[in-house]
Amino acid sequence: MISIVALTECLGRPVVDPEGARVGVLQDLAVLPLEHPTRVGYLVVRAGGEDRVISAQALSSIGGGSPRLRSEASGLRSLPTENLLLLKRDLLDQQIIDVQGRKLVRVNDVELDARPQGDELILSVLGVDVGARAAVRRLASGVVPRHSLRKLLARIPSRVIPWHFVDLLESDPARRVKLKIAYQGLSTLHPADIADIVEDLAPAEREAVFETLDEEVAAGTLEELDPRTQVAIVEALDSDRAADIVEEMGPDAAADLLGELAAEQSGAILEEMEPEERQQVRRLLSFGERTAAGRMTTEYLAMHADASVDALIDALRRFEGGMEALATIYLTDGEGDLVGAVPLAKAVIAAPGTMLRTLSLAPVVNCLPDTPDDQVAELFDKYNLLTLPVVDEHGRLSGIITADDVINVLRGAD
Amino acid sequence: MLTRLRSWKIRLALVLAVIGPGIITANVDNDAGGIYTYSLAGARFGYSLLWTMIPITIALIVIQEMAARMGAVTGKGLSDLIREQFGFRATFLLMAALVVTNFGNVVAEFAGVASSVELFGISKYIIVPLAAALVWVLVVRGTYHSMEKVFLVASGFYLAYVVAGVLAHPDWRAAAISTVHRPAGFTINNHDYLYMVIGLVGTTIAPWMQFYLQASIVEKGITPRQYRASRWDVIVGCVFTDVVAWFIIVACAATLYTHGRHDIADAADAAQALRPLAGEYAYLLFAAGLFNASLFAACILPISTAYAVCEGIGLESGLDKRFDEAPAFYWLYTVLIVVGAGVLLIPRFPLVRIMILSQVVNGVVLPFVLIFMLRLVNDRELMGDHVNSRAYNVVAWVTTGVMIVLTLAMVFTS
Repeated sequence: MISIVALTECLGRPVVDPEGARVGVLQDLAVLPLEHPTRVGYLVVRAGGEDRVISAQALSSIGGGSPRLRSEASGLRSLPTENLLLLKRDLLDQQIIDVQGRKLVRVNDVELDARPQGDELILSVLGVDVGARAAVRRLASGVVPRHSLRKLLARIPSRVIPWHFVDLLESDPARRVKLKIAYQGLSTLHPADIADIVEDLAPAEREAVFETLDEEVAAGTLEELDPRTQVAIVEALDSDRAADIVEEMGPDAAADLLGELAAEQSGAILEEMEPEERQQVRRLLSFGERTAAGRMTTEYLAMHADASVDALIDALRRFEGGMEALATIYLTDGEGDLVGAVPLAKAVIAAPGTMLRTLSLAPVVNCLPDTPDDQVAELFDKYNLLTLPVVDEHGRLSGIITADDVINVLRGAD
Repeated sequence: MLTRLRSWKIRLALVLAVIGPGIITANVDNDAGGIYTYSLAGARFGYSLLWTMIPITIALIVIQEMAARMGAVTGKGLSDLIREQFGFRATFLLMAALVVTNFGNVVAEFAGVASSVELFGISKYIIVPLAAALVWVLVVRGTYHSMEKVFLVASGFYLAYVVAGVLAHPDWRAAAISTVHRPAGFTINNHDYLYMVIGLVGTTIAPWMQFYLQASIVEKGITPRQYRASRWDVIVGCVFTDVVAWFIIVACAATLYTHGRHDIADAADAAQALRPLAGEYAYLLFAAGLFNASLFAACILPISTAYAVCEGIGLESGLDKRFDEAPAFYWLYTVLIVVGAGVLLIPRFPLVRIMILSQVVNGVVLPFVLIFMLRLVNDRELMGDHVNSRAYNVVAWVTTGVMIVLTLAMVFTS
């Protein structure tokens, strides 16, 4: 028989041995993530004013929430707690990330699966309850008689998040390793969703997420955050880690971020970056922030005007920048002067071997590096652009602005 | 000399970067109820209660400083910390009580708005719905940073009371002496006098302030490193608030008390009574100051209640969420405003009884909030090296003890 027990039903209940004698009061349940991801390994029992642990193998039943032990293996001992995930201390009433619902939630209760195996009872974590049922249970238990409470609870829907969709928050790096917390669930989300969650976190937890996340995901997330939060996070990271993340950001976003930091810190981060990225970002940093040059990215795809569609497809395969930069492919001559623009869709459907020059739109809308934000936005609006090339005074292509940056400007987001 | 000047400039810049939460919270404390209490103290007992201002200021600083420090160090709101440390049931009960007492406060603020504009002959049936709509829109549309600027300007308008105090031509010497020296004429044995002292203390330290201050420190993103500067924000705010309170008492003492008008029904009544005694300008300043203070507090109380309650209980909250994402948050916020303002438009509504109930709940909630705060701020796992020092703890516990005794005394005598 399998049954489901709630953590708060068991806490504070007496633990008894086979003869019914009281061993102590149940304080907490512990999982050892290094040994088994969900199985309860120990019971924390208070006896004689002291907290001790009993191996969960000694458990024989937990009917109605009160734990009964088998005769053997019921010796009490003390144990260091840093390897243990304590369900009450670390989980109950704490915030966790609900990966499925893509938000932060507070744990009202923990649901446990109780499965007898021989004369042993195996307890394992099923999920966390964040709904009204657990809230009412905790509020009313001990006040409302048991059977009427059970009737009442049956009418309230529960909201349980399965354990594999739960990401824990832990700001201590050593414990993160021992509890195997790696934000695997979180990193599967879209960076914009991760950013929404990160914005609601306390600073220490925020840093924990950024220390742990994969660099590429971290960079994408950082780009989605508002500048104040970006600065706070990067200031807290060591410059080595910060450089790894900043390298993965688009050069325009990286330059914006470094421009907000104290000179000393941005210098330290630039120092740690790869030479090529460093140069790009340095150049962007020298432009005024609220101009075309300050908004533009240098990660775009430009082809020689005499190249064919096939060469373009090849180049696309090798392109490492953001996909938003590829809406239009720009054509240059031998000097690097901007001479044409081909919408990606047009190039893709053209017959193989077609020269890019023949597909080009004319004339090509462009702007100068010192064009202010509002005029850039006007150009996007007037010509219905997705990207806008920026050329220097000699007509040479120096970067492109993408529509998402213009939307940021228009929303006053930075 | 030059380096000293520069270091002063740097320090000033540091303070300016964190200014806001402390000053705003302390000023909202001088709301409609506060202004009435100070006016009454001046009208009934002249200068003889001015000695309470210095100890009250110290108590206010000690308690506010702890809330601000917890916000900066943990990056979490007070209701989050209470939930994580003291569990669901304690949090739920505390939050329920907070809603009741804050609802009473909201009603008092809208009553302040109504009575101040009625002095100018505008009907409350026009101004109260308008004020409620304004508050709702202002807070929902504004961001934390834009609101902060509006609130800082509103804080500046409290200077109206300082000017009104000067216009009342007080006996400066007598006022100054009474501030540092308790006059012999009145004794603690005098029941009315004692009751007034309790009223003054009770109006100064309210539960909602600790939640609001800590939340705005978090929202502003103040870090433990910036905290030394932020402490000045708190201290300056508390001192300014009590200087304003001092001038209100002095204005009423110099006029109403001297001319034997010992009884006033509300804060608007005090303004009315000042008119023949202190002149047209003093009257206008008093009335305008009351309008400003009431509207200001009406903006802050509902939103801070909605945040504290939803975060503590674990419901979705935040103005960046849509209505259907955070229904409880928006409903609570809207109901507090609509019902809080609406009851004033009901003829023969038992306003006074609601106020007394709210004051009683206020008095019951305060000890719990203060004790929770002291336990949290001394938790080394949470606060690290930022726990209270031993000397600070002595001051804080004595302050808390006195506050508890006085508020309970107020509850039982009212």
